[in-house]
Amino acid sequence: MNIIRVALGVPLPRLFDYLVTDYAESDIGHRVTVPFGSGFRTGVIVAVAHSSALLETKLKPATSILRDMPPLPADWLALCEFCARYYQAPLGEVMAFALPPMLRRGKLPRRPRATVVRESTSPPALPTLLPAQQAAVTALDACQKFQTFLLHGVTGSGKTEVYLRAIDTVLARGGQALMLVPEIALTPQLQGRVAARFPTAHVVAANSAVADAARARGFLDALEGRADIVLGTRLAVFIPLERLQIIIVDEEHDASFKQQDGLRYSARDVAIWRAHQRNIPIVLGSATPSLETFHHAGRGTGPGRYCMLELPQRAVAENLPVVRIIDTRREKLQDGMSAALLTALELRLARGEQSLVFLNRRGFAPVLACPSCGWISGCKRCASNLVVHLADRHLRCHHCGFETGIPRTCPDCGNLDLQPFGRGTQRLESVLAERLPDARVLRIDRDSASTPKKWQALLQQIHDGGADILVGTQMLAKGHDFPKLTLVGAVGADAALFAADFRAPERLFAQLMQVGGRSGRADLPGEVLIQTEYPQHPLYQALTTHDYNAFAITQLNEREVAAFPPFSFQALLRAEAREMQQSLDFLVTARSAAEPLAGERVALYDPVPMRMPRLMTLERGQLLVESANRPALQAFLAAWMERIYALKMPAGLRWHLDVDPLEF
Amino acid sequence: MAGDAPPSNLTQLSGRLLERDALRRTPAGIPVIEFLLTHTSVQTEADSERKVECEMACVAMGLAANVMTAVKPGDALRLTGFLAARSLKRRSPILHVNTVEFVEGNENGIQAEE
Repeated sequence: MNIIRVALGVPLPRLFDYLVTDYAESDIGHRVTVPFGSGFRTGVIVAVAHSSALLETKLKPATSILRDMPPLPADWLALCEFCARYYQAPLGEVMAFALPPMLRRGKLPRRPRATVVRESTSPPALPTLLPAQQAAVTALDACQKFQTFLLHGVTGSGKTEVYLRAIDTVLARGGQALMLVPEIALTPQLQGRVAARFPTAHVVAANSAVADAARARGFLDALEGRADIVLGTRLAVFIPLERLQIIIVDEEHDASFKQQDGLRYSARDVAIWRAHQRNIPIVLGSATPSLETFHHAGRGTGPGRYCMLELPQRAVAENLPVVRIIDTRREKLQDGMSAALLTALELRLARGEQSLVFLNRRGFAPVLACPSCGWISGCKRCASNLVVHLADRHLRCHHCGFETGIPRTCPDCGNLDLQPFGRGTQRLESVLAERLPDARVLRIDRDSASTPKKWQALLQQIHDGGADILVGTQMLAKGHDFPKLTLVGAVGADAALFAADFRAPERLFAQLMQVGGRSGRADLPGEVLIQTEYPQHPLYQALTTHDYNAFAITQLNEREVAAFPPFSFQALLRAEAREMQQSLDFLVTARSAAEPLAGERVALYDPVPMRMPRLMTLERGQLLVESANRPALQAFLAAWMERIYALKMPAGLRWHLDVDPLEF
Repeated sequence: MAGDAPPSNLTQLSGRLLERDALRRTPAGIPVIEFLLTHTSVQTEADSERKVECEMACVAMGLAANVMTAVKPGDALRLTGFLAARSLKRRSPILHVNTVEFVEGNENGIQAEE
C-alpha cells in the first residue's frame, strides 16, 4: 500500500491516511488536496507509510499532491510538531496556522514579479557605537551556536543599531535573519530603516496587515531562499528559512507575542526553541525584560542560562529623563490633571516642544451613568460596561464590539441628564484643547489610528511638528522616536496597581518606563511626571531611579514566595457555554479526569468563573493546573488532553487549553 | 401616596436669577443649564403675613435651557416645573424647570414651553 499521512486543519488531534498511486519520501512536506467529509481539504504530508491502522478498503485516494512549490522543510515540520506537542494543539491546526492563508487553501500566488533590481545606493553612514553597544555586537558576532542573549538596554540606548549590526554580520556570512517585533504599528518604520540599511538585501515583511498574495509570496521567497531578512510580528516565527543564522525578538516582554486565540503560542518562546533546533543565537531585546527572561539571564547579579548584554546608557541623548512622582492625594485635580502637570505642559508649549499625556484608556469615559437612579451602561453580552465614545456619539463594548447610539434618556428612569463617568483619551483631549487653546492637541489611540494609513499619517504629523500635545494610549509607548518630545505625563496609572492579575505590576512598570522613555531622546532633556495617590509605592520609587533591576528582583522574590511563574509552570483549561453552571460542570468533569494523572508534581486548582465571567453572551470558567516541573506538566497535559477529547461534550460548550497563559 | 389620586409634583416659583452656569450638553447632545433663583415674597402663615426669602437650585433642559441662556443675573422670572432629588446620593430637591416666563421690564418677554 502507498499511504500518506496528512495533517489537516481540523480540530482533531490526529493525522489522516490517504492512498496515493505514486509517492516518494521527497513528497513529505508537500501540500496535498484530499477528500474530507463531503468536500475537499488541503493539508500537509507529514509521513509516508506502507500500512495503515485502517483497512485499505476504507482509505480514500488523495486527490492531488501539490508539487508546485518546494516541500516544506524538515525543520519546519519539526517546529510545527513541537508547537503541537507543547501547546497541545492538533498538528494540522498548527500547520494551517503557520502557512499563509493562500497556501493553506492549496493555491499559489502569481509568480513573483520580475525581481526588483535595487540600485545599490551606498548604505547610510553608520553611527558610532558606544562601548556597551560595541561589546554587545562583538559578543553576538562571535556566537555561531545556540545561545539566548538578553539585550537589556535602557530606552533610547540604541538596541536597534545592535540588531542591525548583528544582521549585517549574518548577511555577510551568507545567512538569513529573522526579526520579530510586537506590533504591526511598528513594522513600517523599522522596515524603512532596515531597507535603507541593507539596500541590496531582500526584506520580507510578515504581519497580518500584509495582503494575502503578498504574504504567500513572502513565505515562498523565504522558503525558496531568496529572502535575506524576514521582519514581522509573531506569525513570522513560522516562516521557513534554510540559512537562518540569527533570530531577534525586539521588545521581548510584549504581551502581543502571545496569541490569545486559536493556537495560543508565545512567539518568543517558539523562537527560542527554533534557535535551539537550528543551533543559532537568539537575541531578546528590551528595556524592561519580562521577569521570566530576566530571571533566566541571572537577574543582573550573576551568570544565567541566558547571556545578559547590557546597554546602560542612552545612545544619542545625554541622560535618561528625570522622573518625578506627583502626589495627588491632597490636590484637587483639574479634570484629572495636577497643577504641576498643567504647568509643565504650558512650559513645553511656550518652548515649542512636544508633550505626551499618557492615559491607557480610550474613549471619552469608561461608563455612562444615571445620577438619579444609578443605572450604568452595561453590555448586554458581556460582564463589562459600554464605553462612551463622544466623538461619534456611540456607546461601545471594548470586549465584544457591540455598539449603540447614546440613549437620550436613562432607560430605567427617564432622566435626561446622563453623565459620563471617569476619563478616557477623548475626554482628556477635549479638556486639554479647552485649557490650552493655543496648543494643537492630537489624540493617538486605536480609534484615531484605526487603519495603518491613518496611523502613518498621525506619525507623520507628529514628526513634522504638527502637534504640541499628544494624548495617547500604549500605542505610543513603544519604539517611537520623536526628537522634540520632552515631557511625558502619566495620568490614571494607579488603577493597574491593584489589579487581580499577578503580572499587573510587571506590565505597569514596563508600560510607564517605556512611555517615559519617549521623552528626551534627542538633544533636549526629558521629563516624566507620574500622577499617583500612592507616591511611596515601590513601583513608582523604582521608576524615579530607573532601577529596573531592583524592581524586577523584588517582584521575582514575591513570585518565588508565591510559587508563581517563572518558579512554576501553568496551564489553564477554559470553558464557555450559555450558562456558567455548564462551564463549571465541564471543568469539574475534566478535573476528575485529571486527578488520577496529576500525581504529586502537578497541582490541580478548582474550577472558577473567569475574571471576565461573561463575554459575547457566553459564560466562562477556568481551571488552573500548575507544576514546578515543566516536563512533568507537559506529560500530564498530554495524557489529560487525550481524556478530555474522549469526554462527551454538552452541546454548545467550547473549551481550550492555554499553556503558559498570560491572562487570567 | 394619597389614595387613588395621582401623585402631584408641580411647583411654581418666581424670583430673580442669582447666577447660572455655562450651558452644557448631555452626552446625547441635549442642552442643560443649572442656575440659582432668589425668591422674595409675602406669604400668609397661620393667619399672619410674613416675609419669605429663599434660594432655589434649578435646572433647565432642552428648549428651556436655551431660553435661560438669554437671562441675566437680576432678571425677574416665573418658573414652572417639578422637584426631583439631585442624585441618588444627594436627596435634597432641585427644581426642574419646564416653563420660563419673564415677568417685568421686557415687553417682548419670551415664554418657552416644552
